[in-house]
Amino acid sequence: MHKFTVLVVEDEKNICEFISKVLTSHNYRVSCASTGTEALSLASSLCPDIILLDLGLPDLDGIEVIQKIRSWSGNPIIVISARTLEDDKVQALDAGADDYLTKPFGTSELLARIRTSLRHSNKISGNGLPQHPFRAKGLEIDFFKRNITVNGQAIHLTPIEYKIVAFLAQNSGKVMTYSAVMNNVWGPYAESDNKILRVNMANIRRKLEKNPAQPIFIFTEVGVGYRMVDEDIL
Amino acid sequence: MKKIVKRQLFHDLAVTSGLLFVTTGLTFFLFYFISQSPANIALFYVIGIITVARYTTGYFYGILASFLSIILINCFFTYPYFRLDFSIQSYPFTFICMLTLSSITSATTSNLKQQTEILAVHEKQLMEAEKEKMRANLLRAVSHDLRTPLTSILGSVSSIEAEEFCPCSRECQKLLHNIHDDAEWLLNMVENLLSVTRIQTGTSSLNTSPEVVEEVVSESVDRLRKRFPDAEINVSVPDELLIVPMDAMLIEQVLINLLENAIIHSKSAQPICLVIENQPEFIYFRIIDYGIGLQESHLEEIFDGTWSDSDIHKGTGIGLSICKTIITAHHGSITAQNHEEGAEFVFTLPKEEAYA
Repeated sequence: MHKFTVLVVEDEKNICEFISKVLTSHNYRVSCASTGTEALSLASSLCPDIILLDLGLPDLDGIEVIQKIRSWSGNPIIVISARTLEDDKVQALDAGADDYLTKPFGTSELLARIRTSLRHSNKISGNGLPQHPFRAKGLEIDFFKRNITVNGQAIHLTPIEYKIVAFLAQNSGKVMTYSAVMNNVWGPYAESDNKILRVNMANIRRKLEKNPAQPIFIFTEVGVGYRMVDEDIL
Repeated sequence: MKKIVKRQLFHDLAVTSGLLFVTTGLTFFLFYFISQSPANIALFYVIGIITVARYTTGYFYGILASFLSIILINCFFTYPYFRLDFSIQSYPFTFICMLTLSSITSATTSNLKQQTEILAVHEKQLMEAEKEKMRANLLRAVSHDLRTPLTSILGSVSSIEAEEFCPCSRECQKLLHNIHDDAEWLLNMVENLLSVTRIQTGTSSLNTSPEVVEEVVSESVDRLRKRFPDAEINVSVPDELLIVPMDAMLIEQVLINLLENAIIHSKSAQPICLVIENQPEFIYFRIIDYGIGLQESHLEEIFDGTWSDSDIHKGTGIGLSICKTIITAHHGSITAQNHEEGAEFVFTLPKEEAYA
C-alpha cells in the first residue's frame, strides 16, 4: 500500500516526536524539520503529500514559508499554531494554508484534518465541480441541477445563498475565511465589510439547520470564517 | 502635529473675529436705535473681550481683541463717526483697562485648562493603578491554583516512572486519567488568562466588532462538547437575526466558563439550558441548570474571586471573576441566583454600541 509522506515542521522537539509517533502508527511516512530553511529544502526534495507547519519557527516566519511553498506546490498545508488571535489564522489561511489547528489539539482531530486535506488535494475535477453530488449527514447538494435537499426535503435558496453553500461544500471540511468566501461569491471588488455575508449565512442557517444555534452542517470559526461539515465517505 | 497647530490658529482667529463682529453689530444696533449712552458701549466690548479670551488659547488673542475693540469703538461710536481719531485723551486708559481685563481672563482660562489636564492625567493614573491591582490579585490567585494540578501531574508521572507500572494496569490507567483531567483543567485556566490579557493589552477598551449571536453561541457550545462529549446542552435562540457588538473570543470564554460550571457543579445529569432572549435594550443570556443550586451565602460575592471553600472545585472563583470582568468591560451585567430546581446565571450585553 502506498504510504503518504508527511512533513512535520515544528521546532519543539517533544511535539514533533509525539506527532511523528502518532502518524507513523497510522501508516504515514514522516519526516521532521525544525527550522524554516530546513522545511523549504525538505519540501522541495521530498515533495511530501502534506505539510504540517508550526507558525512560530526560529529562523523564518511561518507565513513566509507558506508563501514560498505555495509558489511552486499546491500540496495541502495544515498550520499548527499556538497563536490564538484570529488575525494570525486568517493571515495564514489567506497566504495559502488549507487548514489550521490550534494547540493543543487531540490526535483524532489531527488525523481527521489530515485525511480531509489529502482527500481534497485530488478531488476537484477539471471543470472545477466535484463529479458527484455532495452528501453529508442528510444534506445533499447536486452541483449540476443546482438543488439542495435536507433529508429528502428540497430547500429553496436565493442564488447568492446557493453560491455560498456550494463554495463551502466544494471545500468541505476546511475553514474558508470570510474574505475567501466574499471573493468567490461577490467577486474581487466586493466590499471589505463582511456583514452582508454574515446576514446571508444567518438566513442560510435558518433554512438548512434545525436549530441555527446548534448547527450540524455549517460551523462558524468566529473571527475567521466558515467550515462545511466533511463529506460522508461513500 | 503641524496640522493641529494650524487648525488651532484658524479656530482662534475665527473666534476672535466672529465675536468682535457680533459685539460690534449688537452695540451698533443699541447705539443708533435705542440709546446713545457711551458707558454701555465699553461694557459690551468688555464682555466681547472676556469671551474671546475664554475661548482662545494664550494671551495673544485677548490682547488683539482689546486692540481691535479700541479701534472699532473709535471708529463707530465716538465723534467723528466712521472715522479714526485718536486725539481724545482718555483712550490710553480705556485701552489699558481692556488690556488688563483680557490678560486676567486669558490667564485664568489657561490655568483652568491646565488643571483639567492634570485632573485627567490623575484619573488615568488611578485607572491604571486599579487595573494593576486587579492583575496582581488575579496572578496571585492563579499561581496558587496552578500549583495544585501541576503537583498532582508531577506526582502521578513520577510514580508511574518509579513503579514501572505496566501501562495497561488499573492503577496506571487511573493515574493517567488524573493527569489528563489536570492537564485539561490547566489548559482551561490558561485560556482564561489569555482572555484577560486580551482585555488588558488593548489600548483601554475592548476590541469589539458586530457579531452574530448564534454563531458565537454555537462555537462555544461546540468547543465545550469537545471537552465534555456527554454533556447535554439545549440551546434556544430567538428567530430574528441578532447582531451585537462584542469581542467574540471573550464572550465565548464567558459562555464556556458558565456552562462548564453548570456541568461540573450542578451534580446532576439533567440537560443544561442556554436561553438567549432579545429584550429592547439588552440581549439576555441565561444559563440554567437543574442541580444542587448555589449556596445562598455565596451569592453576594460569587463573582469576586475572593471566596474559597474547600469543597468547591479549584479555581471556580477565578473563572467567575473573569466572567464578571469581561461582561463589565462590555457594559453588561452578570448575576447569579437560585431557582426552584437549581442555579441560574444571567448575563446581558447591550445591543447598541452605548460606549466609545
